[in-house]
Amino acid sequence: MSNAILEVESLSKTYAARRGFMGGQIAMVRALSDVSFSVSAGEAFGLVGESGCGKSTAGRAILRLIEADSGTVRFKGESVFDADAGRLRRLRRQMQIVFQDPYSSLNPRRTIGQTLSEPMRVHGTGSAREISATVHEVLGEVGMPRDAAEKYPHEFSGGQRQRIGIARALVLRPELIIADEPVSALDVSIQAQILVLLRNLQQQRRLSFVFISHDLGVVRHFCRSVAVMYLGHIVERGPVPAIFDEPLHPYTRALRNASPVPDPAAKVTMAKLEGEVASALAPPSGCHFHPRCPHATDLCRRVYPPWVEVSKDRGVACHLYPAGSAAMSENRETTP
Amino acid sequence: MNEMIQNARVLEVEGLTTEFRIDGRWYPAVRDVSFSLARNETLALVGESGCGKSITALSIMGLVPRANGRIAAGRVLLEGRDLVTLDESAMEKVRGSAISMIFQEPMTSLNPVLPIGFQVAEALRYHTKLSEPQARARALELLEQVKIPSAARRFSDYPHQFSGGMRQRVMIAIALACSPKVILADEPTTALDVTIQAQVLALLAELKVETGLAMIFITHNLGVVASIADRVAVMYAGDIIEIAPVDALFRHPTHPYTEALLASIPRVDRDATDLKPIPGQVPPITAMPQGCRYAERCPLREPRCSAASPPLVALAGEPAHHARCWVRSGGEGRAI
Repeated sequence: MSNAILEVESLSKTYAARRGFMGGQIAMVRALSDVSFSVSAGEAFGLVGESGCGKSTAGRAILRLIEADSGTVRFKGESVFDADAGRLRRLRRQMQIVFQDPYSSLNPRRTIGQTLSEPMRVHGTGSAREISATVHEVLGEVGMPRDAAEKYPHEFSGGQRQRIGIARALVLRPELIIADEPVSALDVSIQAQILVLLRNLQQQRRLSFVFISHDLGVVRHFCRSVAVMYLGHIVERGPVPAIFDEPLHPYTRALRNASPVPDPAAKVTMAKLEGEVASALAPPSGCHFHPRCPHATDLCRRVYPPWVEVSKDRGVACHLYPAGSAAMSENRETTP
Repeated sequence: MNEMIQNARVLEVEGLTTEFRIDGRWYPAVRDVSFSLARNETLALVGESGCGKSITALSIMGLVPRANGRIAAGRVLLEGRDLVTLDESAMEKVRGSAISMIFQEPMTSLNPVLPIGFQVAEALRYHTKLSEPQARARALELLEQVKIPSAARRFSDYPHQFSGGMRQRVMIAIALACSPKVILADEPTTALDVTIQAQVLALLAELKVETGLAMIFITHNLGVVASIADRVAVMYAGDIIEIAPVDALFRHPTHPYTEALLASIPRVDRDATDLKPIPGQVPPITAMPQGCRYAERCPLREPRCSAASPPLVALAGEPAHHARCWVRSGGEGRAI
């Protein structure tokens, strides 16, 4: 546990959403419910799930870009939520974010050099000359030509803009990067370039990542452990090859089976998951997944399943795996 | 006999070249593209952004913007009739009846202020002689065919009341309304979550069996290709660089670009092997190199690759598998 660079405990967040005619009614959206995980130093931790599952909200809540309602986040043992403005600024230097769409997150009127030096000026790290040297060094590190600093975002392709987005996150020499769908907007050949770049940076700088993605293939490639989210909850968490090869939670299994694989012999199991993700405005009673679950019982419809640690670093929230039972043998029956 | 020939090939695209005018000069975005499509066949057009796959579809539909685009050469034969020579009013009768299209983003293709039942019926009223009650009855049948739950109750609902997956089903119902010979589906599942994508792919596969549809399925996702296609055409920089039955393409990718594309996909079903990104990027349309357009990124590059453009030729022993590569499929007896 002392090895953890980031510890997230019982993070919850509810949004008020206006509904009805002219937004006359207010409904509560439970975006995050009791989300807990920890990230070891130098580790890439994946948060995976479909639209609206809360994975991006979790990433932003960790950085206090949105304020969570309850829960704690500790970065190297220090509480992020209790930090005053000065401490928070210092913490944010060490925790940076990379967004999905580098075009909308780069200011089109500023040169790349201006965009990359701004965080250093805001945080007062170094003289103008040192800042300029860092900009050029980091541009080189992300595989951009030196003259990129004088250019504007529109002069670059999507892949190059994402390199710039990564460079901006790196200039303050952070230890943790929250990467929110960093390769989702990119073509596969460019996606692979960025993944290789992130892997190299991780190794060279000993960076830790919270890697948010909807793409299980990307997560399997980049992350060492992963949490699967559904309607604001983590439904399963564990080490990476195992969780995709032997998923325990029926939702993890469905997600795995629906993920297309470039092999006609392994066609997407069209034994498809029934129904759609329920609205977060009105999540189903009990286990939120029960209306789509082939194993749902009366208990699932009534009671949200407790978190069960099935092995040292693996847990699941599903009534199929009651606490203290031989959970793994259950799994053997249900997976071929 | 005549009918048999028609059945065999619903659509033939011959030597299609579509150009766009940039700064007063015409540049081909699609270059000498030929393929045919049979009844009950799904042909995937796959490639990365800007490869010409969507422009191919727009050319078939006669939707190339006239202000700065033109079909410079080639024929698009729908059951023997050349669509390129049709005037706009004749083409309007073909669109939505003999050929229809499904787009990526159903929300922008549906009219937000009209009920969905009305929008399906409208397609029927426009293209057929059905009376209004007949069109409404048929529209309801179509919504049931695409498996909209409680279709009768939702007939008068508006697009915003539907989820992304359900809207795409509505789009499919509209596309099917006039029993088209050919459906062009342009990234129809790209905006959907994977479990919903699997449902829509399953629906399209079922509809193909039920109706004997011929479909051109445009996507950048080789995993989706593997699960839906009968044949695959891979495009790069405006050229078809490889075309083959789906099993042959994945088992024996022959063009170095196809091979590289497959090696750059992070896979959920395999352990993290090293991703091999493709170096560099697609040349811009205004600066296409002489010879093979992939040459500058290709590890197998030889001097002849930059001298002249390779032809698309059948591989030895695989008459249905064509590749455009001097090294891999070039001279006689050199095909592997």
